[in-house]
Amino acid sequence: MTREELQQAITAILVQDFEFKDPAPDDHLRDVHGFDSIDAIELLAKIEKLLGFTLTREEKEQAMVIRTINDILDYIEAMQQKRNLAKP
Amino acid sequence: MSRRVVITAASAITPIGYGQRDIVESLQQGVSGVKPLRDDGLLASRIHSKVFGTVDYPIPFDFARRFRKTMGPVANYACQVAGDVLAASGLDQEFISSGRLGVAFGSTHGSPTVQRDIYRTFFQQLDSGFSSIGAVDYLRSMVHTTAVNITRMFHITGRVIATATACTTGSQAIGFGYEAIKFGLQDAMICGAADEYDTTTVAVFDNLLACSVAFNEHPEQTPRPFDKKRDGLVVGEGAGAVLLEDYASAKRRGAPILAEVLGFACTNNGGDMILPNLEGITATLQLALQEAQLVPEKVDFISAHATATKMGDSIEAQAIAQVYGNRSPYVSGLKGYTGHTMGACGAIELICTLYMMQTGFLAPTLNLEEVDPRCAMIQHTPACMDADTRIAAIQNFAFGGVNTCLLIRKGTDAG
Repeated sequence: MTREELQQAITAILVQDFEFKDPAPDDHLRDVHGFDSIDAIELLAKIEKLLGFTLTREEKEQAMVIRTINDILDYIEAMQQKRNLAKP
Repeated sequence: MSRRVVITAASAITPIGYGQRDIVESLQQGVSGVKPLRDDGLLASRIHSKVFGTVDYPIPFDFARRFRKTMGPVANYACQVAGDVLAASGLDQEFISSGRLGVAFGSTHGSPTVQRDIYRTFFQQLDSGFSSIGAVDYLRSMVHTTAVNITRMFHITGRVIATATACTTGSQAIGFGYEAIKFGLQDAMICGAADEYDTTTVAVFDNLLACSVAFNEHPEQTPRPFDKKRDGLVVGEGAGAVLLEDYASAKRRGAPILAEVLGFACTNNGGDMILPNLEGITATLQLALQEAQLVPEKVDFISAHATATKMGDSIEAQAIAQVYGNRSPYVSGLKGYTGHTMGACGAIELICTLYMMQTGFLAPTLNLEEVDPRCAMIQHTPACMDADTRIAAIQNFAFGGVNTCLLIRKGTDAG
């Protein structure tokens, strides 16, 4: 998935499941959209399904610094890259 | 410290209507809220009892997602009626969040719908490797989900009492809220209970042979409290909330005083978990009168627990006769209208009683056509009739041997 495709997919989830209104890539998730720690856990479960792999507890804890949609995309790309590098 | 405690707002969602107008109309017209048991794709087809006290009308829930995400159906009911009483109260946000307002609210076991979803997800996706059980499922299903969703939605910072004693959940919430104010721990409490549509509860009572099965083709004819042909209870759903306030504070701010809570008793039979206990119930009714400093003759009306089981109604009638003598106050079993709304029944029945007091009438026990001789020693409300009820008792009893009795006095007398 390209970054643009990822952004579309994540934005769709945020709009449909989290009822975000007009999310922009650099909106502060909590301040602008009321996104909290419970939402973060829910989103991680959805990201796992989207990507088709599970995240470790350590990886999930790394996600707690995410503040914007761009941060989410960076995080997903890092997780994907980590798994690609791990492949023989 | 001992303060007077008054009811200044009330709201209920019941199988016979939502809000005072609809509920009063149903009580006056003898409308039953019992309908065919809805299919749940799991248990309904295996249950012998095919009837349910059903909320089948749309309710205008309008909760933002930030609240909805931690709410199951039971919390929807709870927050709706809690919101109603806060809106009616006129209390300002400064007081609501001051720590002087608390919440006493419960349900039988949180949200069985959400619990069922958790197990469905768990068993269906056990091998998928994904954690599909939502992070908020516990918050939506836990036993105190009603109380803390109310505190969260309305920014209430006082004490939380989450009752969970089956059929006395609502009456305990009101009683414990009353005590919190009476003894000066809080100035106001939102009290009540809710229970959602749930076939698990029906299955439990069905297995115990306690559910009505003889009127599956005519749901509106059951339950039949105190009736010779009664054959068991009908599980139902709903919610009720009242706002209790310290009398002096309520009067000072000009709040409408609907009723005064005069007394509350709560006991346990200290023995059998299921069978009603004449001694325990009798002691509870006496204790409530003592606490309220009332002689039995002062009570005008009794809202009986009266689930329409053979033994329960008979024991309750005997207990009433022992406490009140041969000429008891008028007695009605309001579950004839609503079915047994489980945890919510104490709150709903208190609110129905309050509405009857305010409107000036008494509704008889619906479906009571021929009084069982074993229940004939009390004065059953003979028909829907005008009545100036000043003092009423609301009686509820639960599995586990828990007994409660609340005594309330019509608001205009508080002064």
